[in-house]
Amino acid sequence: MSLLSIDTISKNYDGVRALNQVSLRVREGTIKGLIGPNGAGKTTLFHLITGVEQPTAGTISFQGRDITTLEPHEIALLGVGRTFQTLQVMGTMTVVENILTGMHSRLKGGFLSCGLWLPWIHKGERTALQEAKETLEFLGLLGRWKWNASHLSFAQQKMLELGRALAMRPKLLLLDEPAAGLTPAEVTRLAEKICRLREQGITILIVEHHMGMIMDIADEVAALHNGELITEGPPDAVRNDPRVIEAYLRGRDA
Amino acid sequence: MTPWVHIPQLLAAGITMGAIYALVALGFVIIVRASQIINFAQGEFVMLGGVVTFFFIKGAGLPYPLAALAAVLVVICIGLLLHLLVIYPLRKASVLILIMATVGASIVLSNTSALLFGTLPKALPPFSGDLPLEIGDIRIAPQGLWVFGATFFLFFVLYLLSHRTLLGKAMEASSTDPLGADLTGIARNFMVFLAFGVSAGVGAIAGVLVTPLFYTSYNAGTLLGFKGFIAAVVGGWGKNSGAILGGFVLGIVESTSIAFIPAGYKDAVAFVVLLLILYFRPKGILGSPYIDSRRW
Amino acid sequence: MVKEYNKGSKIEYRKRDILYTAGLWLVSLILPDPHLPYRREFIKKRDFFYLGALLLLPLILSDRLVYLMVLAGIYAIVALGLSLFLGYAGQISLGHAAFFGIGAYTTAILTTRYGVPPLGAFGASALAAAVCAYLIGKPILKLKGYFLALATLGFGEIFLVMVRETRSLTGGVSGIFGIPWFSVAGFVFDTSLEQYYLVWGVLIALVLFAKNLVRSKMGRALLAVAASEDAAASVGINVAQVKVRVFVLSAAFAGLAGSLFACVLSTANPEGFGLGLSVLIVMMVIMGGMGNLYGPIFAAIFLTWLTDVLGGYQEYSLPIYGVILILLLIFFPDGVGTRLNERLIYLISYWGRKRRRERVDI
Repeated sequence: MSLLSIDTISKNYDGVRALNQVSLRVREGTIKGLIGPNGAGKTTLFHLITGVEQPTAGTISFQGRDITTLEPHEIALLGVGRTFQTLQVMGTMTVVENILTGMHSRLKGGFLSCGLWLPWIHKGERTALQEAKETLEFLGLLGRWKWNASHLSFAQQKMLELGRALAMRPKLLLLDEPAAGLTPAEVTRLAEKICRLREQGITILIVEHHMGMIMDIADEVAALHNGELITEGPPDAVRNDPRVIEAYLRGRDA
Repeated sequence: MTPWVHIPQLLAAGITMGAIYALVALGFVIIVRASQIINFAQGEFVMLGGVVTFFFIKGAGLPYPLAALAAVLVVICIGLLLHLLVIYPLRKASVLILIMATVGASIVLSNTSALLFGTLPKALPPFSGDLPLEIGDIRIAPQGLWVFGATFFLFFVLYLLSHRTLLGKAMEASSTDPLGADLTGIARNFMVFLAFGVSAGVGAIAGVLVTPLFYTSYNAGTLLGFKGFIAAVVGGWGKNSGAILGGFVLGIVESTSIAFIPAGYKDAVAFVVLLLILYFRPKGILGSPYIDSRRW
Repeated sequence: MVKEYNKGSKIEYRKRDILYTAGLWLVSLILPDPHLPYRREFIKKRDFFYLGALLLLPLILSDRLVYLMVLAGIYAIVALGLSLFLGYAGQISLGHAAFFGIGAYTTAILTTRYGVPPLGAFGASALAAAVCAYLIGKPILKLKGYFLALATLGFGEIFLVMVRETRSLTGGVSGIFGIPWFSVAGFVFDTSLEQYYLVWGVLIALVLFAKNLVRSKMGRALLAVAASEDAAASVGINVAQVKVRVFVLSAAFAGLAGSLFACVLSTANPEGFGLGLSVLIVMMVIMGGMGNLYGPIFAAIFLTWLTDVLGGYQEYSLPIYGVILILLLIFFPDGVGTRLNERLIYLISYWGRKRRRERVDI
């Protein structure tokens, strides 16, 4: 059962064809890797899935429902979480508040009820704090829960961003280069956490350059090049596919 | 008598005002092309051009052309000082702080002018006489033609500056890609410094040209500055040609609107135009290299 | 070489440092610092001190100063609302004086023409300002940065022009006179002292509301929108809706303040509701510090006092005001109270450190 299906998606930017009739399926409960040289269209694809951009042609469906034209927050409310390539940790807030922000969609209340601190708001905050601390423990950040988020190390901030996405209890998680800038030990820790997420039933789509991590944890890998899908399949098959090797070695013109 | 009868005369008035707005708008755009800063004190440069010229004529007894030249130089110095004292210390500050600082500078300049030169409106004699030219039914003050001519002349000069000289290119680079400009050895702060000087000069010239047509006084600068800014947005943000076009569009729309709505609302028209443009086409009529349509 | 040190003066420096530190610690107890980590508790001991000071202040101040505090309190209400929009959600508005004016005129018109009791007019003012904010906000808040600032400024100017032109409704340039004092159930607030407690009472209630808001999910939503709109959207926050709602809320605060203003001054005319006031309120929020609720209130008191002091200098007042504005922006871009301790310690200890440096001549 495919949780996310992308059907013949194309995206043009003022004449530059970023994506050309790409079709992808992500099966529920699996980890799918998305690889390709820079400029292949991976982040564009993420933008299209999360609603930041609209495709020029094609449709995207999530759990059987067409999400092509929805707004980013509406797509998020359906259960799609994401992290960002350029880390978007909220530095003005504390670590635990970042996680609590992730839980926004699951908490009740609007401006007036929050301002008046109605009873259910109070209860909601208490349980939310508890849950946020549990998430922080899973990520290994519990000791710093009161810290200002901008004071964490780079790797810890990446974990925090992951935690914020997890806090919404997503069904599908889109990770945009989560391993970028991490040391090998940190990458291993990250990979282990992502596998634990799969065990919890979350479907994950990862864009990544770190071949080692992808090949280790992914159930299936898709390779993009110059806006086209060149191959899709189990990690070993894709790794040895001559077209993929060609694309990485030769770059744009291949 | 339908309102439409007045249109030709209003058009002529609108084109004249439009040229003025275009000049003020050019001043804004010059600075934006070097640094992405919006200088709220731009209108004050225009006002000071007229007021200082008046002072040099009446107070120092200089002949008209010399007084005008001296005034332009003085205002250029004020513009450079503004950069050194206000903009340069805040070169790393956020958008909001810069806006507020230029607003503060605008307050200082307009009220110091009131302090030094008095609050009475000042008038200057027109360049080539009082008699309006008559073309058919329409009367145009000859001063209007001077303004018109100066607008295009300055536009031409600026075009040469930004497209044909290395300095102009350097200024543009420091606005569109600050880091890249730094790495290529462009003295970014100096570019902005120059931009302020040039923009003050353009504003002062506009002031000298405009004052014979309309009185100028210490608080005329603020409103004029806003309208010039609106013109720059309407025509195409960040483009010299956009500033010119926007100026004329705004001038014409504003003038012709008098035929249809009570005169007191005239000033509101400019702001309504601003809101409309920002809502429907924030890039402006000619489009803008600075605004990413995805984000706006 | 170490023996060169005059032991006596070394101990002297220490005493001085201790005194300075103690003094600064006392000061830090009083002034809020927005950058201390995770101090988002609801009520701190310091708050009781503020409350006590507020209650007792009018008893020691002269009548004129109490009147000034009334004005400061009114402006503080606007600043509080704007701090939610600007300080927390990070959006710029240079037109909030218009909402203030809408509130004042609504109260003025309702009480003088239709005999509506002040309490009802009070609520209606907030509502009127909120409705206008909603209508303007929906299209405008799509803009960012400079353009939002200018659109709000444009709206403020349009408001002024409309007030000046619709003479029958608003009394044009001369405004509306004879607005009755604020009264509740027969109790009339006609002295500065009574108005002081009224205004600051309203302010305290609104501060409690704002404190609750800021500690809740909506407060986090505001900070999230300021920090990263993309990230906020990715967790399901409807960014456009949040922006509009906080805009409306801040406008409602301004409307309430405007209503009180009309009742305190008994007149409403367009002079007080222009760009100058909008700039002043924004300065209060900046000086108070972004992401801070008490700061803007302190800044409101300070700036109201400052404009009053400057008013005494007649023609010099406005240029000096502008210069002070610029200086404040250059030296305190993130708020006056920010890291006040550290800055003061650094400044004051400079002398001691300089002397010590000179002594170490090896």
